[in-house]
Amino acid sequence: MTTGTLLDVQGLSVRFAMPRQSLLGARPTLQAVRGVSFSLRPGRTLGLVGESGSGKTTTAMAAIRLVTAWSGSVMFDGVDLLNLDPEAIRQRRRHLQVIFQDPYSSLNPRERVGVIVREPLDLMTPEMSKFDREERVRELFGLVGLRPDQMALFPHQFSGGQRQRISIARALATNPRLIVCDEPVSALDVAIQAQILNLLRRLQDDYGLSYLFISHDLGVVQFICDDVAVMYLGQIVEFADRPNLFARPRHPYTAALLSAAPSLARRKSAGYVREGAVKGDPPSPLNIPKGCAFASRCPRAQSKCREERPVLQGHVDNAVACHYPLI
Amino acid sequence: MTEPLLSIRDLKVEFSTRNGRVTALDGIDLDLMPGETLGIVGESGCGKSITALATMGLVPDPPGHIAGGRILFDGEDITHADAKRLRSLRGSDISMIFQEPMTSLNPVFTAGDQIAEAMMLHQSASSAEASRKAVEALRTVGIPEPERRAHSYPHELSGGMRQRVMIAMAISCRPRVLIADEPTTALDVTVQAQIFDLMRDIQREFGVAIMLITHDMGAIAEMADRVAVMYAGRIVEKGGADEVLDNPLHPYTRGLIGCIPVLGKEAGRQGRMPPLAEIPGIVPPLHLLGRGCAFADRCPLAFDRCRIESPTLEGRSHKVACFATEMEAA
Repeated sequence: MTTGTLLDVQGLSVRFAMPRQSLLGARPTLQAVRGVSFSLRPGRTLGLVGESGSGKTTTAMAAIRLVTAWSGSVMFDGVDLLNLDPEAIRQRRRHLQVIFQDPYSSLNPRERVGVIVREPLDLMTPEMSKFDREERVRELFGLVGLRPDQMALFPHQFSGGQRQRISIARALATNPRLIVCDEPVSALDVAIQAQILNLLRRLQDDYGLSYLFISHDLGVVQFICDDVAVMYLGQIVEFADRPNLFARPRHPYTAALLSAAPSLARRKSAGYVREGAVKGDPPSPLNIPKGCAFASRCPRAQSKCREERPVLQGHVDNAVACHYPLI
Repeated sequence: MTEPLLSIRDLKVEFSTRNGRVTALDGIDLDLMPGETLGIVGESGCGKSITALATMGLVPDPPGHIAGGRILFDGEDITHADAKRLRSLRGSDISMIFQEPMTSLNPVFTAGDQIAEAMMLHQSASSAEASRKAVEALRTVGIPEPERRAHSYPHELSGGMRQRVMIAMAISCRPRVLIADEPTTALDVTVQAQIFDLMRDIQREFGVAIMLITHDMGAIAEMADRVAVMYAGRIVEKGGADEVLDNPLHPYTRGLIGCIPVLGKEAGRQGRMPPLAEIPGIVPPLHLLGRGCAFADRCPLAFDRCRIESPTLEGRSHKVACFATEMEAA
């Protein structure tokens, strides 16, 4: 483990066995994550970016053992999370929290929101008195911009943005060190999205939190992330710090994502024509091509790309998996 | 000056709800010129989709009804057109693509059959001719191997392909107006780019006028010639896309533009990005709207008059409904 690393993921793979196609046939294997390695330093935000099906959520969930990994190691604070027995990992969970995408389905509709936020404290910190736990919930409500008198309400009495604030309060309850943010703003309207993003960053500054931030929205990633891993079909194809990734993308897929994202600078009035747009859809993770997974859509692909799988090359802060990178 | 193809005048739509009668659209004025793209932008619940549904004669009645105003298509008043006239308009003159292609396609018919159905209904094409034209339509929207794909069912297609099928269906009878209600919201960004490029190609080729409903200012920049910004059932700002994006007048429009994490502008910036602009609070529920400007409670520029009187759209080409900034309208 390198010094100053909170989370160090090496060679993480996740496979799912799919239903048989015929009575006696073998069960096909879906390779959702294929040998992913990255590390996250304390107080920083690492973005996992990619399209649906790229494996970004599975990667993050496997890293905190909410999904079973097939192989690899996940060092958190010097301990391999994947080798811990159930009680030991349960003890660690207070440091590993999650904010989910959908603020409607991630809160129990039958519980009062004060109880929802208190639940992690009830489970993880039984040494705290009931009174102290209530006080902590009150404090958390204030931190995320809700009023303590709202603690007795039910989730359906809140708007989407407020519910996401409740999710954030719940995630913060046990003073975690790492929060996995799984598309925390993609279900929200843009005006509310800005409120939540600013809140997440303020909390990070105040409490030294580290975020593993999953998003498909490059604008959001550019705003909040320090480092970015671009994923395609279960692998990291480019890893760079934010300024490098956005100003000097090296993988053709990163460049394609950047050119596809809507931007205020691209105007119909100025006759804007998109360059480097990719064709078609990603290949199926059940049937991964032999060479580079992006070759079938890549404008720069050559015969080598279809034959030989590129590996992630470069140094810790800037690596690309491409035979013919842009830079 | 050319006449607008679609003209909405002082349109008012009301819904009966548990909280009494609410005004979902309150005096909407819109013109769609032939061959142009008009963007309608705003947050959820501001009335964008109801505007589209009203235009198609699809406001669910009850609980909703058109309480006032007129909708003119090519000079003809279609506000209260009968079912027969609406059926002949829909699909052949005005067609619509929806947000979720999976739920708007029929799961038990093939893509080809669904496109052919529209042509048999509206152009009284024979079944064989319609099938052939359906394959042509799939080719037009860039579906590879259209002969084979015409026999695919919706579940066998990806999200992007389904939306292409929807577009093929929508343009199969060469409508003059295409209403696109958040056509790419459910799609990945690379596929969204493909769909936008396709819509632009189709407009260039067939001259169809597009009403694009979106919450994304980036989509407006890329796609729209003119834009209307909606808030709580009213249009608060209207003008050329460049005018509105470069010189937003309404505090709500300014907020919407300021709160987007902009891609590209500060790509190489070292260190932290500056905080995003925030619009405090949320869109008020329609039944709680009182007199005065609906945005006043969230507005940094609000003064006494804003809470008493409701501003109207002022200005010639670039209009705004705001007491604080109407002097700047052009």
